[in-house]
Amino acid sequence: MTVDAIPLTAETEAKVREIGETEILVGIPSYNNADTIGHVVRAVSAGLAKYFPRRRVVLVNSDGGSTDGTPEVVARAVVDFGAMLISDHQSPLQKIITPYHGIPGKGSAFRTIFEIARRLNAKACAVVDSDLRSITPEWVELLIRPVLEEGYDYVAPYYLRHKYDGTITNSIVYPLTRALYGHRIRQPIGGDFGFSGRLTAHYLDKHVWESDVARFGIDIWMTTEAVASGARVCQSFLGAKIHNPKDPAADLSAMLVQVIGAMFALMEEHELFWQALEGSNPVKLYGFQYEVGAEPINVNVDRMIANFRQGLKDLESIWRRMLAPETMEGLLLLRDCPPQAFRIGEDQWARVVYDAAASYHHRVMPREHLLKALTPLYLGRTATFVLETQGLTSAEAETRVEALCQAFEMRKRYLVDRWGAVLSDERRVAAPGWQAEAKEVTR
Amino acid sequence: MKEFWETALLGPLAALGKQVLALLPNVLAMVIILSVGLVMAWAVGRVIERVLRVLRLDELCNRLGVNAALARGGVKSDPSRIVGRTSYWLVVIFAVLAGLGALNLRPLNQFAQSFLAYIPHLFLAALILVAGHLLSNFMSQAVLIAAVNAGLPPARLIAACSRWGVQLVAVAMALEQLGIAQNIVAVGFGITLGGVVLAAAIAFGLGAKDLAKEFLERRLSDKPRDRPPDDLRHL
Repeated sequence: MTVDAIPLTAETEAKVREIGETEILVGIPSYNNADTIGHVVRAVSAGLAKYFPRRRVVLVNSDGGSTDGTPEVVARAVVDFGAMLISDHQSPLQKIITPYHGIPGKGSAFRTIFEIARRLNAKACAVVDSDLRSITPEWVELLIRPVLEEGYDYVAPYYLRHKYDGTITNSIVYPLTRALYGHRIRQPIGGDFGFSGRLTAHYLDKHVWESDVARFGIDIWMTTEAVASGARVCQSFLGAKIHNPKDPAADLSAMLVQVIGAMFALMEEHELFWQALEGSNPVKLYGFQYEVGAEPINVNVDRMIANFRQGLKDLESIWRRMLAPETMEGLLLLRDCPPQAFRIGEDQWARVVYDAAASYHHRVMPREHLLKALTPLYLGRTATFVLETQGLTSAEAETRVEALCQAFEMRKRYLVDRWGAVLSDERRVAAPGWQAEAKEVTR
Repeated sequence: MKEFWETALLGPLAALGKQVLALLPNVLAMVIILSVGLVMAWAVGRVIERVLRVLRLDELCNRLGVNAALARGGVKSDPSRIVGRTSYWLVVIFAVLAGLGALNLRPLNQFAQSFLAYIPHLFLAALILVAGHLLSNFMSQAVLIAAVNAGLPPARLIAACSRWGVQLVAVAMALEQLGIAQNIVAVGFGITLGGVVLAAAIAFGLGAKDLAKEFLERRLSDKPRDRPPDDLRHL
């Protein structure tokens, strides 16, 4: 099924006609990123010149109406190829700087990039965030070459991260994506991806561009669509990802609504696909891997536990509607235990997430309320992870993430049963299978 | 004596008998109308409920979250049953009014006409109360979750205030719709709401001025917090 072409501005249309065709396209979505986008454009330009000197290449900046001169910075950014020791640079870089149409958000910016890629018949594409400070020319090679020369359709990023960097990814997104779709993609919402022209056409044919995907959730959507459509998937080790700092405590529940809401919505779309899968397979990882020591950082575990306990006290009736009775009973045991003994174990956390997914599916309450009510639960699990991994290196902490993933995989049958269970109003009439299984584990 | 007997006792009795005899067909008509109306009400209620069940209204409402909202509001019946029972009672009310009209008595006719004219107001008031109840539940749940996520200790109190605030507005609107003591309701509501807002403002200003200051500073400027946040990054 194909959809109508997305309208481009007259200037962009003319530029696309002038270029005609390309082999490689790199897209950069932006909105008021004048401080950082110059570095990103220079890194991409250098990467394309250094690693793909004879290929026809295009850089697209899809901007959401920046008022700080972001497009001008993109236009002005140039690379001193001599200083980069790049002498064999035969194909000039074409730049397309265009505003995007549609709902404001990264998804709409991507849609314009995909449309330009389709019109230019690009064979390999990549998208990178515009607030990156750690991007190097090598990123371009690592995201593009697996598509261009190894026949992959989708290249997910693999970052070197501190053990406490990306805790939503570690505790929910990675374990759930892996258990559902059977691919061990470590950073499903990384934000920097490589993909083939075929996959670009597949993305454009999906009718999601007027939905929340256009605003947020584009990263998990791209990864999920890639694996669910049977695309060949690999990962590339990009090193550290450093981008503009944001207040980590700001709008945590909004983050959870966006990320987990997108995941649960995609579960509904692909339910036949993931329900038939069991276990998971490793995904090929390209790039030179290395490790660095984990620096001690400030994490306030007591505050997270206090937040969880306030949820237990004030949101108990809401949690009882969204979680199975056995899951809830396990959480109630944590009401009075000393902080050092506080644990939401892997199996228990897997059941919490699966219960929430099933309740989202069965609409036991307004979906936004359900997703926001997960915040104290998530903080409780994050506190557990911090308590369990204090003193460990990031690589050692990875074993705990692996144990969590295995718990999600082992519990998948429970999810499938609960997903298909008939719910009467707010009282669950669950299949005997999962009840018996849950009791077994509780014992 | 005989004349007295005929004029003072038999005369009124005869007149009364004539009136009763004149009214009897009307009473009979009322009984028939009421009987047929009750049977029709029962049939209409049952048929509508059955048809809605066949059309899977309950499943549709379940998907739209209506059932959950009703359950939260303490309503045990499903939507098909509610619509069926509402239809039953509407037909019963019309049958009663039609039956009273059949008596052809002026006061009853006037009452029936007034009642018929009042029905839209009753219906609107009921609708406002139901909508207010559902909205207050939704609001209080949203506020409770937001307050817990923000780590505010009196989360339940804040949620309860929001619930009663919405219900107060709904009751005031319903009473105004019914035309009951409109001025008193409007003035009472204004005084109550103004008092609550003033009390909240004073309490917030005196008790949480530092919190308010920090909140406004964070909102209006890029100044970082005095208290360092966690270095943990969620995304």
